[in-house]
Amino acid sequence: MEPKIGVYVCHCGSNIAGTVDVEKVAEFARSLPAVVVSRDYKFMCSDPGQDLIKKDIKELGVNRVVVASCSPQMHEPTFRRAVQEGGINPYYFEMANIREHCSWVTESRKEATEKARALVSAAVRRVYYHQPLENKEVPVHPDTLVVGGGIAGIQAALEIANSGHKVYLVEKEPSIGGHMMQLDKTFPTLDCSACILTPKMSMVGAHPLIELLTYSEIDYVSGYVGNFRVKIRKKARYVDIDKCNGCGTCMTKCPVKIDSEFDEKLSKRKAIYTPFAQAVPNVTVIDKEHCTYFLKGKCRACEKFCERNAINFQQEDEVVDLEVGNVILTTGFKLFDPTPMKEYGYGRLDNVMTSLEFERMVNSAGPTTGKILLKNGSEPKSVALIHCVGSRDEKYHAYCSRVCCMYAMKFAHLVTEHIHGARVYEFYIDIRSFGKGYEEFYNRVQKEGTVFFRGRPGEVTDVANTAEEKGKLVVQFEDTLVAKQMRLPVDMVILCCGIEAQADAQEVAHKFNISCGKENFFTEKHPKLDPVATMTDGIFIAGCCQGPKDIPDTVAQASAAAARVLALISKGKVEIEADTAFIDEDKCSGCRVCNLLCPYNAISYVEKDKISRINEALCKGCGTCVAGCPSGAITHRHFTNEQINAELEGILV
Amino acid sequence: MEKNGHATFLDEVASIPACDKINECIQCGVCSGSCTTAEHWEHPPRKVIAMVRAGMKDELLKSNSVWFCVSCYLCTARCPRDIKPASIMHGLESIALREGYKPPTSTTTMYRTFADSIVQYGRVYEFGMMFNYFLKTNPFAALKMLPMALSLLTHRRMPLTPKKVKGKDELNTILNKLASGGGR
Repeated sequence: MEPKIGVYVCHCGSNIAGTVDVEKVAEFARSLPAVVVSRDYKFMCSDPGQDLIKKDIKELGVNRVVVASCSPQMHEPTFRRAVQEGGINPYYFEMANIREHCSWVTESRKEATEKARALVSAAVRRVYYHQPLENKEVPVHPDTLVVGGGIAGIQAALEIANSGHKVYLVEKEPSIGGHMMQLDKTFPTLDCSACILTPKMSMVGAHPLIELLTYSEIDYVSGYVGNFRVKIRKKARYVDIDKCNGCGTCMTKCPVKIDSEFDEKLSKRKAIYTPFAQAVPNVTVIDKEHCTYFLKGKCRACEKFCERNAINFQQEDEVVDLEVGNVILTTGFKLFDPTPMKEYGYGRLDNVMTSLEFERMVNSAGPTTGKILLKNGSEPKSVALIHCVGSRDEKYHAYCSRVCCMYAMKFAHLVTEHIHGARVYEFYIDIRSFGKGYEEFYNRVQKEGTVFFRGRPGEVTDVANTAEEKGKLVVQFEDTLVAKQMRLPVDMVILCCGIEAQADAQEVAHKFNISCGKENFFTEKHPKLDPVATMTDGIFIAGCCQGPKDIPDTVAQASAAAARVLALISKGKVEIEADTAFIDEDKCSGCRVCNLLCPYNAISYVEKDKISRINEALCKGCGTCVAGCPSGAITHRHFTNEQINAELEGILV
Repeated sequence: MEKNGHATFLDEVASIPACDKINECIQCGVCSGSCTTAEHWEHPPRKVIAMVRAGMKDELLKSNSVWFCVSCYLCTARCPRDIKPASIMHGLESIALREGYKPPTSTTTMYRTFADSIVQYGRVYEFGMMFNYFLKTNPFAALKMLPMALSLLTHRRMPLTPKKVKGKDELNTILNKLASGGGR
């Protein structure tokens, strides 16, 4: 079949036509060998634009198509579909990117037109050698893995399980609940955080379709969309999860006391413990690093008193192999540690605390049973709240953490509610109260008497300049609205720390073959149009692991990710692109260099034939093996030497 | 709008080395909150930056602001946008001097005598420098410094005779290079 090429140059409104002389480019294309028709059109991606292609295939016998428009990222599927609907193989199509690679980055009209001509010429030469290819379909395993048991993971797991599909929920801590469990009230409605979260947690615990794997971490992931294989390490709890009924006797008998992570080190827990009373599962775990038996070989008090013989010091880590079709990562965040900001005295000055410490303190289930107390046991009469600690600061995190303004105002409300006559001062740069009911909450806190100072404090000090400042914490700041430096003595200072990515975010991203942005949050496929997918098909993200966000946004995103997974499950199959590599078995010497090079473990050595073979379902078409093969035995479909050479010649002509 | 026009003044300041990020200031006030001498400034450091952006050149350079900067660099250490407020203050000082605004303090005299001492000896010769400084400002004010001077002398912390640094010739080359580039 003699190639008959159709070329279509898109204006993209003025995006391309504003810089590139599209008519000239179309005219130039007409002069290229094998081109039978060349047109320019305002929007090629529109229905009339696609119809042009289909019509030319039918009427003029066009059997190769080049569209010169935007990046293939968005519209390659659109045009491949149009070509297919026109009646020819979708791989008889090539896209020339004359927008991102040309009109948007070139100022001179002459140069941009010249570059567009070169790109079109390359595409025309390349498409001449295109081969028809067939996409493969693979089945989607109906089970889903959710990593991280905070509110995002809980929400996503419930959405999927409630629709009748199996979910594995993995959590590295002994209980699910995450940061939301640590919070006291939630802004702006002041719902009790635990009261709205624990019903969901017990639903997860009791759901027949959710298999909870707490105190567990991901060891290894392989496979591809629809067919992932995951190794999960269930860390040894030293407590038999089936026998323990959560009576708590072991905790009362354990003689070891250590700082409670859940209470932000404001209270003590035992070496055998559950992080909090409503833990799901309600099963204790032994902290090996602090347990007297593990350290000194003696004690076993917990074992003696356990009526159900649930303690098992011989337990070892267990590795579980799972097959799942999709993964949702909901690994959450870490609170910014303000210790490096010496000027605010955290860790040095008593009564300077972080926001999470305050959340625990003000919580009725917390270390002070909800009383706001200074180190000396008395109630503060004045509290300063410093916004943007670690956020909006190029030395730490350049971004706005989105939640601090609102939780700071929630704190102001809680202080005035708990302590009669207490004064609260908010030190802010800008108030960002953008959500539903948020601005109203700001107004409410103002009505309750909280004073707002616009100015980020320079320092917090215990060095008194006047008698009034003696024994107090002094906040030194500029009230920027009156342009005056001031000193304000208070009893307590709360640092409203920002949200940062988990310390192991990069490691997790690497395991799941997704990427992290500059600040280590996971990168979404498209910041606006595909915020829960990632560049790796079948791996989705939700909650603060993607970027700082509040609870309503996290829940919405988790439900969105679940919807995306359910769509794949209900379709039951996914198409795999046909541009994979294959080995010419006559040329293969069986050296196995490609086996080691393949990042997707798609190539294996076949002992009986003494050659290597590629599993096309696993191959992502990266081309590494093609470049590495010393015998030139590997060909990359749709990226053959002939096609690439033709493309280069086209550019250089 | 003042007659200078805000864009002109902003551009003028932003073109000085290390002052280029002035337009990125978010007016948080951490500079003024940290400033060790802010109580003396007619307009605190944050407002100085706002005034540059507002084009209030005359009002700013006639005020005592800027001249009280003692280069402790707390503002620069704490600025969340890394705009280097102390450098901006010094940049404004040079503009003021170049354009004939009269400094309200003896800061410039202090800078000059300090610089002269460096040019002459390659290091600060405290005794000579303070002598020159008080001679040019208020000789009677020197009396107040007498107890400290005596204490320094008895503890042998302030030599009466100047000492030159090693390699003064190399230093001279550097200083000449600076001077030829328009430095003073």
